[in-house]
Amino acid sequence: MALTEGGEGKTARTLIVGLGNPLLSDDAVGLRVAAALRERIPPDANVDILEDYRGGLRLMEHMMGYDRAVIIDALLIDAPPGSLHVLGVHDIPTQRSASAHDVNLPTALDFGRRAGAQLPADKDILLIGIAAADVETFDENMTPAVEAAVGEVVTAVLAHLGLLFAV
Amino acid sequence: MKRISIDPITRLEGHGKIEIFLNEEGDVANAYLQIPELRGFERFCVGRLAEDMPNLTNRICGVCPEAHHIAATKALDALFHVDPPPAAKKLREMFYSVFFATDHTTHFYALGGPDFVMGPDAPAAERNIVGVIKKVGMDVSAKVLKMRHDGHHLLKMMGGRPVHPNWGLPGGVSRGITEEQRQEIERLGREAIEFARFSIQLFNDVVLKNSAYVDLIVNDAFTHKTYNMGTVDANNKVNFYDGMIRITDPEGVEFAKYHAKDYQKHIAEHVEPWSYLKFPYLKDIGWKGFVDGVDSGVYKATPLSRLNTSDGMATPLAQEEYERMYDTLGGKPVHHTLATHWARLVELLYATERWVELASDPDIVEGPFRVLPTETPTEGIGQVEAPRGTLIHHYKSDERGVLTHINLVVGTTNNTAAMNMSVRKAAMGLIKKGEVVTEGLLNTIEMAYRAYDPCMSCATHSLPGQMPLEVTIRAADGEVLHQLEQFLPER
Repeated sequence: MALTEGGEGKTARTLIVGLGNPLLSDDAVGLRVAAALRERIPPDANVDILEDYRGGLRLMEHMMGYDRAVIIDALLIDAPPGSLHVLGVHDIPTQRSASAHDVNLPTALDFGRRAGAQLPADKDILLIGIAAADVETFDENMTPAVEAAVGEVVTAVLAHLGLLFAV
Repeated sequence: MKRISIDPITRLEGHGKIEIFLNEEGDVANAYLQIPELRGFERFCVGRLAEDMPNLTNRICGVCPEAHHIAATKALDALFHVDPPPAAKKLREMFYSVFFATDHTTHFYALGGPDFVMGPDAPAAERNIVGVIKKVGMDVSAKVLKMRHDGHHLLKMMGGRPVHPNWGLPGGVSRGITEEQRQEIERLGREAIEFARFSIQLFNDVVLKNSAYVDLIVNDAFTHKTYNMGTVDANNKVNFYDGMIRITDPEGVEFAKYHAKDYQKHIAEHVEPWSYLKFPYLKDIGWKGFVDGVDSGVYKATPLSRLNTSDGMATPLAQEEYERMYDTLGGKPVHHTLATHWARLVELLYATERWVELASDPDIVEGPFRVLPTETPTEGIGQVEAPRGTLIHHYKSDERGVLTHINLVVGTTNNTAAMNMSVRKAAMGLIKKGEVVTEGLLNTIEMAYRAYDPCMSCATHSLPGQMPLEVTIRAADGEVLHQLEQFLPER
């Protein structure tokens, strides 16, 4: 079995994952940032971009075969909507999942490494959370503060990857 | 009167908010599992084209998009009055079997299994998939990862996308498979059967050979004698993709059998002032409160329910395991909630066998894969067995196919009344005459509802994690007597 699902024959070593549900207001922010990044990152930058809605085991499986990962998601936190929060794997402030049907990311990574999967080191996994105002209303529009934050997050990710001035 | 609240840390984390009320004697009077409702999905869908529904509804849920995709596709078959060709039905069922096997694997190894393999008294930090691997051996992790990998690979290959399939259409599917793909599906299916057998052997060795665990399964604290619901084929065998809905009474006798389109004749929904959730019950029996027994309309729709309502499994290995389960647990029906974990493994084996059965059928590469709808759309109801219960999609449209009404009964919803009863019963065992056994309270309550594999939100996810629980036990005057917490962030 190939334990490099995320790679699938590509040479890219960085994975960007936008997480979210496109129908649930601010929950879409990770997807919106991922889509915007796709327009900005040159094809030869060794970066793959993926949109998904699942955390835990599935998120870990996506990262197999990559050296580093950037995960962008809406964040439920007592902070102004649209504010940006950079986190490591072990300091997710609200260990929450939509259902009891998954495990948290540190546990998923531990499991994957024990199974022999090649995964980025914890220090090379960056989580970018955007404080959300509403993730419970079915709506394809985000709230204004979160909508306004998309550009800032895109810039932050590009800067992190050293691609801010890439053409 | 004391009130015990198991609170998540914020309103939005309310997926597992539990409140326990004590009576004057200090015993448990009621326990409520509260879940926030996501707003406006019906309003969001009304006015859209019906054929968009398989791609919209699969975004309701981050756990079982494939179940919503197939249920929506079947609802469209009915709405557009079109019967898909045999090859399309077989492909859909094969796709669905692969999904089922993958989903049940995750639940057993990541969620339900740890309670048994690690034991209910193990610290919360160890009751997870890593704890299981440490205990039963490292090679298990690679097997689990391979099973999930193969499942996701095939779902992507057939469904068209790695997440959110865009495959189902009214009257069939958007494309078939090649002979080469069929061979790969069959080969991986045969390996999946071996994985399912291995999982059952593991359950046998670790759980069934340990009398303490068997005692736990049959413990009265985890037992409810309710009606059961599940989908059966023409021979009354379990089927996940299609068939009649069968309901059996607490003694195992058939109470009703109907086509999904008649669901509203049989099922009604009770509303409680303290919850946004609806509590479905059997119309012909009526709502008698959160109680079990033949006179209460409460029913369950779980893997164990499907086995209880059927006359067996349609594949040989699963049938053997079905018989062994009932022989071991004292005959049919079984009402022990924790036996749901065993039933889930029987279903895992069935799903893999059915997957291979369908993949071995040469017809599935022949086609045709679709019949074009020609009639005016009106109303359609589609049903599948989701891993966590019977799932129904019900749509109405105008003559252009623009939606005017939608109603969904999702798998977990069927079990909301039973889950509340399970939480109450688990709490009753630990709180007596005002004495609260704080040790194990969280674990026991979690075990009581985790067996149902609940998927509460059916939508949002945010950053992943485990369910945070905080128990606050208060005296009548509001004074905090005990505080317990689990999976909470450091503050």
